[in-house]
This record gives sequence, structure tokens and C-alpha cells, in this order.
Amino acid sequence: MENKQTASAPIKAIDRPDAMQSLEEKIKMRWLKPEECVFTRTSGGFVRLDFRGTVYPRVAVHRCFPFSAPDEYISIRESDESSQEIGLIQKLDDWDHDTQAMLREQLELRYFNPKITRIKHVREEYGYAYWDVGTDRGDCRFVVRMGSGTVIHIGSGRYMVTDVDGNRFKIPNIHTLSPQEMKKLDMFI
Amino acid sequence: MKDHQLPDPVHKALEQRGLKLNVKAWVRSDMDREGYLGQVFAILTLEGIWIISGERADVTDFGGSNAVAKAGGSFIRRGKRRAKEASMRERTPMVIKDLAFVALADLKSIELLNEVVGGLMVARINDEERWLLRFSGSRFKAMAAFTKDVQALLTDSEAEADDGKAVERFCPTCGRRYPDENRAFCPHCLKRKSVFIRLVQKFKPYRLRLFVLLAMIGLAGAFNAFIPYLTGTILYDRVLGQDPEWLAALGQMGLPQRATVLLLLLAVVLALTKLLQQLTGILHGRQTAYIVPGVIAAIKSDAFDALQKLSLSFFSRRQTGSLMQRINGDAEEVTSFFIDGLPYLLFNVLTISVTAVIMFRMNPLLAIMALFLLPPLFIISFRLIPTTWQAHGRRSRARRRVYSILNDTYTGARVVRAFGQEEQQNQQFDKVNQNLRDAEINVMKAHIRYEVPYNLGRVIPNLLVWVTGAILIIFREGTLEYGQLLTFISYLAMMQGPMQFFSMIFVIWSESMNAAQRMFEIIDARPDIVEKEHPLDADLSGAIELRHVSFGYEINKPILKDINFKIKAGEMLGIVGKSGAGKSTLVNLIARLYDISEGQVLLDDHDVRDLSFKSLHGAVAMVSQETYIFMGTIAENIAYARPEAARQDIVDAAIAAHAHQFICKLPDGYDTLVGTGGRQLSGGERQRLSIARAILANPKILVLDEATASVDTETERAIQTSLNELVKGRTTLSIAHRLSTLKGADRIIVLENGRLTEAGTHQELIARRGAYFNLMELQTKALAMRGVD
Repeated sequence: MENKQTASAPIKAIDRPDAMQSLEEKIKMRWLKPEECVFTRTSGGFVRLDFRGTVYPRVAVHRCFPFSAPDEYISIRESDESSQEIGLIQKLDDWDHDTQAMLREQLELRYFNPKITRIKHVREEYGYAYWDVGTDRGDCRFVVRMGSGTVIHIGSGRYMVTDVDGNRFKIPNIHTLSPQEMKKLDMFI
Repeated sequence: MKDHQLPDPVHKALEQRGLKLNVKAWVRSDMDREGYLGQVFAILTLEGIWIISGERADVTDFGGSNAVAKAGGSFIRRGKRRAKEASMRERTPMVIKDLAFVALADLKSIELLNEVVGGLMVARINDEERWLLRFSGSRFKAMAAFTKDVQALLTDSEAEADDGKAVERFCPTCGRRYPDENRAFCPHCLKRKSVFIRLVQKFKPYRLRLFVLLAMIGLAGAFNAFIPYLTGTILYDRVLGQDPEWLAALGQMGLPQRATVLLLLLAVVLALTKLLQQLTGILHGRQTAYIVPGVIAAIKSDAFDALQKLSLSFFSRRQTGSLMQRINGDAEEVTSFFIDGLPYLLFNVLTISVTAVIMFRMNPLLAIMALFLLPPLFIISFRLIPTTWQAHGRRSRARRRVYSILNDTYTGARVVRAFGQEEQQNQQFDKVNQNLRDAEINVMKAHIRYEVPYNLGRVIPNLLVWVTGAILIIFREGTLEYGQLLTFISYLAMMQGPMQFFSMIFVIWSESMNAAQRMFEIIDARPDIVEKEHPLDADLSGAIELRHVSFGYEINKPILKDINFKIKAGEMLGIVGKSGAGKSTLVNLIARLYDISEGQVLLDDHDVRDLSFKSLHGAVAMVSQETYIFMGTIAENIAYARPEAARQDIVDAAIAAHAHQFICKLPDGYDTLVGTGGRQLSGGERQRLSIARAILANPKILVLDEATASVDTETERAIQTSLNELVKGRTTLSIAHRLSTLKGADRIIVLENGRLTEAGTHQELIARRGAYFNLMELQTKALAMRGVD
């Protein structure tokens, strides 16, 4: 993606040079540039985008790599059912603080996953595990189905736990847990 | 929520502020605007919606159950305490941090926005979208209901009555959440006792044999307890010791009063006892051989029956392969407890009690020495078994991971080679292999930890008995005889088996009951789609109508939204749309493979839910891309829907489907065995078979779901001809991507994102230059690029 300029020349065998060119251009157009976009907060709690003469009263903000690169490759999409992508932001850091803040707020609305700060108890029974934890959003209890796919490793000691209602909880670093807490997680890891 | 009573704390808090609200509906969310867990309420009145935010919560129960995960704590006790705490909370008014109001007059619309977890309640207020509150995945259903109530008020219509389908989510007895939302089944409370009783019923037909079995085991136990007595006390003290009383008894019987005679008699008795023991063993075995397969078969048959009745959603939620494995494995595990577990439990209990009694009668002191470590030993093994089980569990998980890497590597071998990633695969394998090694080491360690106290518990009494016995014999003449000591030692040795057994029995019992539970889960699963009490048997003509149909496989992910259309009998309707637009879902609903949540599906003006399965399934047939060929002959496969069909009909159907030619070319013709383990047919051949099947079934409504996908053009042409034959005189719904397939359609509908956006004839839709036009344009352009006409 970085070397769009040096992409291979259109294959001469297919006699459609204009088709190839528009493809390249299409790829280039995907990347949103700060000078072309104006993001504003709406009074309704969303974000509006003015881009290349079009006004999008509400845009959806998606992460392409929610686990491995949460602040890169942010997809800005239309808010209707079709959810067409308007463009991609390569790195949030490249944008001004205000825009970053409002986009992060929208991301927070979409990706709700409290970080588990303390594991109080985990009890397993009849194929379900009952968790009692402390998180950065408050203490809570939830039920996790035993089996594959409910506690997954998302890289470098981080884990994501999904409960029976679809709620997700993050374990930021398994190595920073106390030995007692590790023991409680024994059956998942 | 239908009950219009606000919870007391909220009500009180509002009162404090002087707000007396006429509550039409209310809902609670579990987080505030910043995403902190807390209490937020939305209240609907005739004037509008009030949003009330409270303080951050001490603890939030996702799922709201009263059950707590405290290790070792009793659930019920905690439940009671929590109930007390809860009732105290009831009396104090809620602390209101924020109050907001949206007037109904300003509210244009309201809907829920799905996020990755949970969602937002979004209102359209004066031409702007504003989110009112956010919630987690646990609150979705409640939010959906509330939103419906608001919408009803906005459109001034009746909100749909709660059809009582809302199932209570928590067990009233223990407070645990029901693991399966749709079933009021609490595994904790349902408990093993009732499962056990249910299983016992299965053994009823074998009552007599069971009795014999148990009697044999009892006898075997008695004999077992008897033998050490014979070889110990009797042999040494009475026979070898030449007990005068016994010799005298011999005289009375008319036998020579000699020790050798006694010995001979003893040998005979011993031999007889052993023989009898063997006999009981044989009888025992025979009974087992009759009972076990019988009960297993009965349970499997129940399960298989139940499986047939279950609807599609049950299967889609589980993999069929694991289901089959489960049924087989579980049925056997269940019976194993009854055959290997229970009888031997009795046997061992009997053995130990009898030996204990005998030992005490012989010499109380030694008896105590022998038995005193038994209870602690029992407790120790009881305690240690769980840890060994955990170690076992970890090992099986580690093993599974190794297998999945291996599976991955082998099935993807071509890709691995092509991309030269062998080294990477090796590294992956190494990792999981090391893991497995560590897990195995742990298992051994656990075993050792268990063995040490266990062996001590064995050795110490043995030593004590020997020593004490020896002392008694040497220093206290007459208190103990040598033979008695030997008997004691033999009994001690005999106790080992039962002891080990007792420590294992609990595990066998749990596993067996778990297996039974799993089986009953299948047997008990209520099919989602049920026939009404008195279903209608109708001869359908094939007219279909959909009114305001909305449906989603999951509650918050609708696939079809407000679909309305009519098809006349005999018409051919083409259904077009991008992948995932809902086309296959739509036809599944017509065949009533799933029940819709909103709207009506009508066949000949009858709601499908009113029709009997017989008339419904008899009227509809499907031909899809994935053809399923059953194990059987070609003829059987074609006649699947009508097994009693005459050969003539089968051949006629095959000819119409243009399948007759290739069938005749096969060496075994119509009698060729196909399906799993039989002859493999090509894609096109299979398609034509399934078309023949549909022709023979002679349905009024035919559904063609991409019936010509993934076959070459020539085969497609052949299939197309067969299809043209098939659709004559039937109402046909044809899902297609290809222009060629749609050419024959009387009308076409376009589905976009679950909504029906365009409907009309081919010409009408082309003239509209809308979505259909675009799709067709794209196709023709694509074909033009490939140089195809």
C-alpha cells in the first residue's frame, strides 16, 4: 500500500489501460487526508464529515484491526444500511487532537470492552463458567460458555473473553496477573 | 416492559423531584454515556421519553443472575443474603445524576443501532440523529421491546402484545442463569437424582435379569469374603492345628479321624467355593450381555427419534458430526455406570462390611488396627481426585491443540508447500508439542501426589497388624492364633480393590450423569417449529403471499425487513440480489424451516403456521446448489419424497430431468449405489438427480436456489432444459444471479440489504434503470469483457 507510485505497470496483454489506471486511482482515493476532511461533533453525540464537497451528517467509525492495530486503519463509513466505506484513515496519530478525540469517542461507543483489572472468582459448572471480576468500568459478574472461542488470545499476552450475551472483556496482560488469578484462568488457557 | 410499575428506588427518586409520571413503558440500561457500568432508565410517557442516569453501580450482573461465582460458597446462601441486600436497596430512592427529556412531538423516529457489543438507542429529533442511551449485549431484548413500544406510540398503533414467549432467564430455586435461553432447564437443580431416576426407567424391561445380576454379585461377594477365612483360620488353626473338636466331628460323620481327611475336605470345600464363584461370574456376564446393548439401543433410539423432530435451528447451532459422536459415546458412558459401576459398588460395600464384621468378631484390636486408616484414606483420595482431574483436563486440551495443528497442516499441505511455509508449521507444532509435554508431566506429578498418601494408607495398617499380631501370638498365648493372623492379612489385602473403587466411583457417577444429561438435552429439546393443535390439511394451489415479514436468525441481526409481495399460482418469480441480501432466507421461510418474528407467510391465504406439516412439506420442494445424495440406489434417491412411487414414474422423472441418459450409461443403471461409500457422481449429475427428485415429488411450489451454480456451461444448458421442464405448471421461486436463468421469469423482485426494493417484469425493471438494471448491465459488461456473447 505504501508504494502505490511504484506499482507494476499495467499488463500490456490486456488491452484495457484505462481500467488499470482507474483501479490505482481508486486505491489512492481510499486514503483520507487531513486537509481534505472536516470532522465535527454533532449535538446528537455523533460525528459529521465534510469531504470533497459532500456532507455526511453521521459517519460510522470502524477498526480494521481491532486487536492488533486499534489506532491504525480506521474505516470511515456511511451510516445507512449499505454501510459504504467513504475512506480509510491510515493512522489516527496523523490527525489533530480534536479529530482524534471525537473519532476515539465514536470508537469507544462501538467497541465496548472493559479491561479486567482484577479476577475475583471463576467457578465452572455444567459447561458454564461464572466470573466475578473488577474492571476499569466497574465491578461485574458474567457467564461464559465453556468451550473453544470464548476466551481467545489476541496477541502478546492479551485475551478477550466473550460472555453468553456477547459482551466482551479484555485481559490486558496475562503476565501481570497474580498467581492466584492465573490459577483461576487455568481451564481457559 | 409491560409491567408499568417502575422499580421503587426510581419511583421514589422521581417523587422527590416532584415528577409524577404516567408510565407507558420503561427499560433499564446497564451503562452510562461514558461506558461506565451504572443504572440508567428510559421511561416512556405520553409526553415523551425521560432518560434518568443514576450512580455508578457497585456491581453489575451481566445477565442479572443472583448466582455468584464464589469458590466454595453456597449459591443458595448467597442468594438469600443478596435478596436481603436487594430489599434494603429497594427502600432507598435512587440518586439521580442526570435527567433528560425528549418530547414525543419532536421525535420523528427511534431505532436501535447495533455495535460490536450491545448498542445505542438512536432517536431522530427534529431532523438530527441523537443517541439517547447505550447498553450492553445483555440488555438487547429489553431495549428492542421498549423501542417497539415507542414506535407504537409514535405511529399511534397498537404495540404487539408480548406473546408470552419471553422465557424466565433464571432458575427460581438456585438463582443460576439458564444456560440455554430458550429452555427453562437448570442443570444444577435438575440434578443427577432425577436423571438417575429417568435412566432407571430404561432398565425396567430387564428387571428379572437385573435381579439375577445383583444376586450373582451378592453371592460373589459373599464367597469372596469367605475364602480368606478358609485359607487362613480354618486351614491353619483347625486343620493343620488338628483341632480336636473338628476331628471329633469327623468321627460323627463316619469318617476316619485324621488331619489329612480334614485337609481333603477343606480342599473340596475350597474348590467348590471357587467353582461356584466362577459360575456366578458367568451368570453375571450373561446378564450384562443382554442388558447393556438393550439399554444402549433404547437410549440411542430415543435420541435419534428426537433428533428427527428437531427443527433446523438446532442443527445449525451444533455440528452434526459431534452430535452423532455424542449420542454414541454418551449412551455407552451412561450404561457403563449402571453395569460396571453400580453393581460393583454393591459388591464392594458388601465385601467391606462383611470383612469388617468378621474381623471384629475375630479380634477387635487387630480389626481397629486394620481399619482405622480407612476413613482418612477415603477422604484423601476424594480430595485429590479433583486435582488429578484438572491435570487430565489440561492434558486433553493440550492434546486437542496438537491434533488441530496436525489436521491443519495435513489438510492444507498443498498450501504449505506452495508458499514454502514448512518451517513455520514446524515451529507451531513445536510450541504445542512442548505444551503437551508439560501437561503430561503435570498429570504424572498429580498421580504421584495421589499415590504417596494412598500407599502409606495401605502399608501402615499392614505393618501394624503384622507387628501387633506377632506380639499377641508370642507374648499373649491364646489371644490369637496364627491362622487368624493370616486371615486378617488376607482381608487387608482384599480391601485394596474396594478402596480404589470407592475413590473412582464418584467420578464415574458424575461422568455418567453428565453423559445422561447431554443425551436428555437432545431428547428433551423442544422443536422450535411445532404444528398447531389442529393443523389444517389443505390441497394447495401454489399461491404465495408475504405480508410485512421481518426475520433474523438472531434477535438483533435482522436479515429480512418488512417484505411484502404476492405470487399467483403457476407464476415464476425470480429473486435477485447481492450475496447476503436474504434470498435463501426468504425461501426458507416459505417452506417454514424457520418461524418468522413479524408478519405473515400465507399459502393460498392460509398462514403457514396453521397448515399441517404434511400439506406444507408435500407442497414445497427445493432444488439447491448443494445436492444431498443419500446412501442408497439412484432409484431410491429419486423416489426419496415418494418411496412408494412406481418404477415407471421414477424413469419418467429421470427422463424429464435429462438424467436418464447418464444413468443408463452406468454399469448398474438405476440400481447403482450412490452417496457416502457409493459411486461418486459429478456435480452436474447430482444436480440432475435432485431435479428428478423434485419432479417426482410433484410439488405445487418449487424453489430453485442457484440450481445451476458451479457447473460448466454445457452441463448448465442440460440442467436448464431439465429445469424448464420442471417449472411447467408450478409456482416457482428462482434465486439466480444469471440473466439466462431469469429469462423465463414472469416477474422479478430485487432484495437489497433485506428489503424488497424493486418488483416487476424484466422489461419494467430494465426501463426503471434501477438496481436490477445495474446488475444486468454489470453482467453483460462482464460477459462482453470475456468475449462471450
